[in-house]
Amino acid sequence: MTKMLLISTTALMLTAGFAQAQDKTLTISVYAFAQDDFKAIVYDPFEALCGCTLVVETGNSVERLAKIEANKASPVIDMAVVSMADALSAARSGLIEKIDTSKLTSFDKLYDIAKDPNGDGMSVGYTFYATSIVYRTDKMTIDSWADLLKPEYAGHVAFPNVTTNQGPPALYMLGQALGKDTPDLKGAIEAVGAAKDDIVTFYVKSSQLVQLMQQEEIWAAPIGRFSWAPFTKLDLPLGWATPKEGQTGGMNVMVLTKGSKNHDLALQFMDFWLSTEIQTKLAEKLIDSPANKDVQVSDAVAADITYGEDTARSLKLIPSAIALDNRDGWLSEWNARVGQ
Amino acid sequence: MTRRLFAPLTLLLVLVFLIGPFLIIVAASFSAGDTLAFPPQGLSFKWILKVFTVESFRDSFVMSMFLAIGGTFAALIMGIPASYAMSRYRLPFSETVRTVVSAPIIVPGIIVGLALLRYFVVPIGVPITLALFLAHTALVLPYAVRVVSASLNNLRPDIEEAAVLLGSSRLGAFFRVVLPNIRGGILSAFILGFVTSFNQVPVSLFLSGPGVRTLPIDMLGYMEIVFDPSIAALSSLLAFLSIGIVFAAERFLGFSRYV
Amino acid sequence: MFQNRTEALALALPAAIFAALVFLVPVILLLSEGFRVADSWTFSAYADFFAQPLNRTVFLRTLKLGALVTLVAAIIGYAAAYAIVSLPAGTKGRMIGLVVLPLMISPVARTYAWIVILGRTGIVNHALMAVGLSDAPIRILFSETAVFIGLLQLFLPLMIISLVSALENLPKDVVPAARVLGANWLQVFWKIILPLTREGLVVGGTLVFTGSMTAYITPAILGGSKVLMLETLMYQQVTVANNFVAASVIAFILVVMSFAANILLKRIATARNRS
Repeated sequence: MTKMLLISTTALMLTAGFAQAQDKTLTISVYAFAQDDFKAIVYDPFEALCGCTLVVETGNSVERLAKIEANKASPVIDMAVVSMADALSAARSGLIEKIDTSKLTSFDKLYDIAKDPNGDGMSVGYTFYATSIVYRTDKMTIDSWADLLKPEYAGHVAFPNVTTNQGPPALYMLGQALGKDTPDLKGAIEAVGAAKDDIVTFYVKSSQLVQLMQQEEIWAAPIGRFSWAPFTKLDLPLGWATPKEGQTGGMNVMVLTKGSKNHDLALQFMDFWLSTEIQTKLAEKLIDSPANKDVQVSDAVAADITYGEDTARSLKLIPSAIALDNRDGWLSEWNARVGQ
Repeated sequence: MTRRLFAPLTLLLVLVFLIGPFLIIVAASFSAGDTLAFPPQGLSFKWILKVFTVESFRDSFVMSMFLAIGGTFAALIMGIPASYAMSRYRLPFSETVRTVVSAPIIVPGIIVGLALLRYFVVPIGVPITLALFLAHTALVLPYAVRVVSASLNNLRPDIEEAAVLLGSSRLGAFFRVVLPNIRGGILSAFILGFVTSFNQVPVSLFLSGPGVRTLPIDMLGYMEIVFDPSIAALSSLLAFLSIGIVFAAERFLGFSRYV
Repeated sequence: MFQNRTEALALALPAAIFAALVFLVPVILLLSEGFRVADSWTFSAYADFFAQPLNRTVFLRTLKLGALVTLVAAIIGYAAAYAIVSLPAGTKGRMIGLVVLPLMISPVARTYAWIVILGRTGIVNHALMAVGLSDAPIRILFSETAVFIGLLQLFLPLMIISLVSALENLPKDVVPAARVLGANWLQVFWKIILPLTREGLVVGGTLVFTGSMTAYITPAILGGSKVLMLETLMYQQVTVANNFVAASVIAFILVVMSFAANILLKRIATARNRS
């Protein structure tokens, strides 16, 4: 028995050791969603192309950024995809580097708004998304963001937590609907705080909403368009709201970690991901809306993603600097009004 | 009469409360639907099969196995001599040693994980895998010492003293007389340690890096992305694995005598 | 008893040094962070922490849920343990096996099941409506109730096992004797069972209380950000706010409470041994 354990332990240690002994490795940090599809469409083909190994870390934008910050002295991550505001925050904390866009062959094919979203040359947008409300068309109508707080829908709505990427944009639109659209989001947070007992949950991960929707736990929730696809598979009458205040949204960007030893490989990977071929495949699977303007998709696909530069332009985005400068204020206001 | 029924009825309700959720998870594993639901929508093996196709599950399963087997093994290698010293020798600072060795059981796991991240991984650059291994070893150590000590205390010390008097070396007496007699206790400690380490969440919460995750953390992460029944399927498979190991140990070795 | 001190130390020190280096040193360093603000020793981080209403709410909620789970587990635990102890030997063993079974299952899976059970369309709501206790489905998920139920299921086995071993040591004839002498069940419990099983109750109680206080998955999944507890708040402080000082403060509170529960346990146990 003891001998068997010894042998198996040694064997396990050896395999663990070998897995790390690859010479060409690129470590990327990405959002956790749709990893099966990303593996098939992006990671595996890239590994075959470069003859290297991709190590993938997943998590939400804020958590992963906290980790990059913690490992500042000896970076583990080579390349990360984060939200626009988190990219600016990383730039301000000196965690990321300027991107040499001349090495990106697909750069000229990007929509202008994706080329340098924060105006500091440190990030490149690879996808953008609309944020609106998914809702049960048989139970309610949504004409305005303020409808979420209507008394008749009390106990049927989930709202994003302020710490998520969807939180501030949703609050921003709610503020517009309530006629209180200040950058500090005070009016909107106050309104949500007043209705907090009527809100089912302040979600942190949007995936959970699919389960909650299926269990009829909720009828409506503000979500990003990228999490829409799983809802379409539910056997429920669900719609994508077009509130009169418009839709908000966000852009996700790629960044290069400062001090990474694999810059060229990271740039090669970014270029691969931005290429028309890969962006098309990701769009057709309804995973990420393309930032590459050469991408052509069918009308059916276009209807389920955030497609086209005009659509992108129409989204009411919160500028990164405003998001960043107000973030602490939003959080403390949120904790005071909603958190407890 | 009603009094006589009260206790058994409570017991029945308690068992439903304790075991019911597990049965629901098992039932959901065989669902044909796309979300977790009870009663399950149709019957299929697709989620059970899907578990084996998710690459991150395979990686994190290997990682968790490595931690549970390796960590428990390391804890026993250190724990058995320590227990022996505490039960057979006049050990200086015996109480201090006992407290230090069993401290990891009292301190919440999330703190251990964060402490290792802050002082080992970040400043010194200890790899995450090693940090996990150290943390899991420290976590299992108290169990190893407790269970092995208990079985050493059940063994009469004069047996090995007699062996020593009869000319055996101290070491020889330990390996030939003591070790065979506490074999059951060691195995119990191993199983207890294995199960504890394998299901451990808080310690590993902060100790995850690119490509390095324990299985429970990976399951939590997966749940945050997809809410399909494959988590139920995986949970059932793991539960049956744990139950199988414990059942076999109980059956062949009388595991419960030592815990 | 062997007398060789060097040999004894050589055997015991590897484990002690390992635990001290890997465990004690980093944990103590982490806990000290909360007392060091701007390079001087101070309690200001603690004052800041408790100055925020959210943190006070979370602290009190954690205490409250811990105490409530312990209390309910003790009440149910006595009934269940009493029933188990009165069973014939073979059945008793199998019952204990069934009670311990959930401990073998990953807490992730155990908590996950409650999402389905407690949901609006789940079994609990169906049952409530079927027996007419409620007209419309009630919302249980993401409430303190959901966290309470999840924690109770997680830790009840520990209480039952502790009480079973305590009740087994109860002399077989004390309860019937007291009954013959005219004591009612409540008197039997307060005057006989409780004093004689106090140790088991304290062991079980400590395990359940510290377990509930330091659980992560259950409040995270069943409570979400609406029902933060100390452990989930600590995780949030680290991952979202990057605030390690606040995390250290929470860590210290958790450690103090765990130790307090443990010391209480030891004192009660030794007090009994002396009497």
